[in-house]
Amino acid sequence: MISIQNIEISFNTPRGKFTAVKDINLEIAKGEIVSIIGHSGCGKSTILNAIGGMLFPAQGKVMLNNHEVKGPGPDRGIVFQNYSLLPWLTVEENVYQAVDAALPGKATSEKHELVTKYLRMVNLWEHREKYPKQISGGMKQRTAIARAFAINPDVLLLDEPFGALDALTKGSLHIELLKMWNLTQQSKTIVMVTHDIEEAIFLSDRIVVMNNGPAATIREIEEVHLPRPRNKKEIVNLEEYKVIRERLLNLLMDKVEIDEKDFFKEKAA
Amino acid sequence: MSSTRDLLSGNNEMGSVVLSKLLNVLTGLLFNILGFGVLIGIWYGVSILTDNALPTPAATLAVLWEMTKDPFYDYGPNDKGIGLQLANSIVRVFFGFILGAAIAVPAGLLIGASSFCKKMFYPIIQILKPVSPLAWFPIGLVVFESSSIATIFIIFITSLWPTLINTAFGVASIPQDHKNVAKAFGFSNWKYLTKVLLPYSFPHIITGLRLSIGVAWLVIVAGEMLSGGLGIGFFVWDSWNALSLEKVISAILIIGIVGLLLDKGFSWIEKKVTYES
Repeated sequence: MISIQNIEISFNTPRGKFTAVKDINLEIAKGEIVSIIGHSGCGKSTILNAIGGMLFPAQGKVMLNNHEVKGPGPDRGIVFQNYSLLPWLTVEENVYQAVDAALPGKATSEKHELVTKYLRMVNLWEHREKYPKQISGGMKQRTAIARAFAINPDVLLLDEPFGALDALTKGSLHIELLKMWNLTQQSKTIVMVTHDIEEAIFLSDRIVVMNNGPAATIREIEEVHLPRPRNKKEIVNLEEYKVIRERLLNLLMDKVEIDEKDFFKEKAA
Repeated sequence: MSSTRDLLSGNNEMGSVVLSKLLNVLTGLLFNILGFGVLIGIWYGVSILTDNALPTPAATLAVLWEMTKDPFYDYGPNDKGIGLQLANSIVRVFFGFILGAAIAVPAGLLIGASSFCKKMFYPIIQILKPVSPLAWFPIGLVVFESSSIATIFIIFITSLWPTLINTAFGVASIPQDHKNVAKAFGFSNWKYLTKVLLPYSFPHIITGLRLSIGVAWLVIVAGEMLSGGLGIGFFVWDSWNALSLEKVISAILIIGIVGLLLDKGFSWIEKKVTYES
């Protein structure tokens, strides 16, 4: 359903053309949860933004349901890295304005029903009158997730959605996200950018490991065959979990080892 | 027993909080009075040294009392009460200020939002902004053939710049995050204007308006000295011609207090509209 075909994305900087990613090919099926993982600056978010239509590839194209992505649209809901709530709007208004903008065909009462439904789903209905400054980081991110779900998109794009949260809040939001996904009959395709290996394994069907930038490419794609529903405590003891974790660690950490060898070489010489 | 003691100590604590707050206010007030005392002392000293060429505080206060006792008397075109003079100036300032804001806010929004407009108009603003508004007075006279309207015209020009520049700055500094939200969820232009652009830049606009009214109040006095007629600026000039420095100093006091009140009013609004992110 999402088909990324040989894209290259570059930016014009004062020092000339900077190529963020290139030769990216990726097919994502409907209802799949795919994580893109890699070091900072490897162009993870760039790929996500290309799917979201927030920026355009210099070469290649992104296809969504057999149509080329030409810009943002209500078929894709984005959860941004830093919540990106509008501080002068209440929790409810933040969700409502997005719904109102993304679904212009619906009646006002229908839009309000959607807002209510999704705010209840993320347990924020009691806090709907509050402003973003009055709620915690976890609640802000839940608002952002409700906002993305409420426009009922086919695809959810999550850009390091839990990066700024503490481990406990993160854990409960993982569950919350999967719960939302299940409530929509696992029909939503989720593409998530992360740098957290455990998070990627727990949530994903497939994990795309990126090489380091600039001009980053896909290094490897790991399949995660852990049974769903997944239980955080149980899956860590499964053999497959350990194998995948080990593989990802090796893929992401090998650079450190090389550096260390170089260090010893220099010392010897 | 112990609970009673806790209650008592709790009461004591609350009492001491109130007391320390009261003490803070009182010491603040004391310092204020001390400051004014020093000022009046110096004033008195200068009066004595100059052999009352500068009127003493007491003499000035007597004149001020005389002026404010019946502020709205009207004995013909050349003899009106201080209240009427003041009201005239304030009406002029607000007239010019509101006209200025009506132009400056939309223009600022446009210049802040479009780099094309910024490139086109910013050099003009930079050239005109440092010009003393009084320099526009002759142009106002020629165009409007009325010194009263010409005064409003210079207040209008004065009010433009701080509001325009602050508004443009506010709009130009909208964070990319907010713009991304609007883009990702397909906000219409109207929704972007009313739910992102205006709420974000509103505090900046109010700051601009506050600066504008401050400068306008500065300029009105000089403007009315040029234009004559009725107004607090003309009153100062007229009092000088009548060699009544007591009246001049009284007018300075009144001008200062009105300016302070204008500023306080706008900073109150400023606080009301500032949101925390």
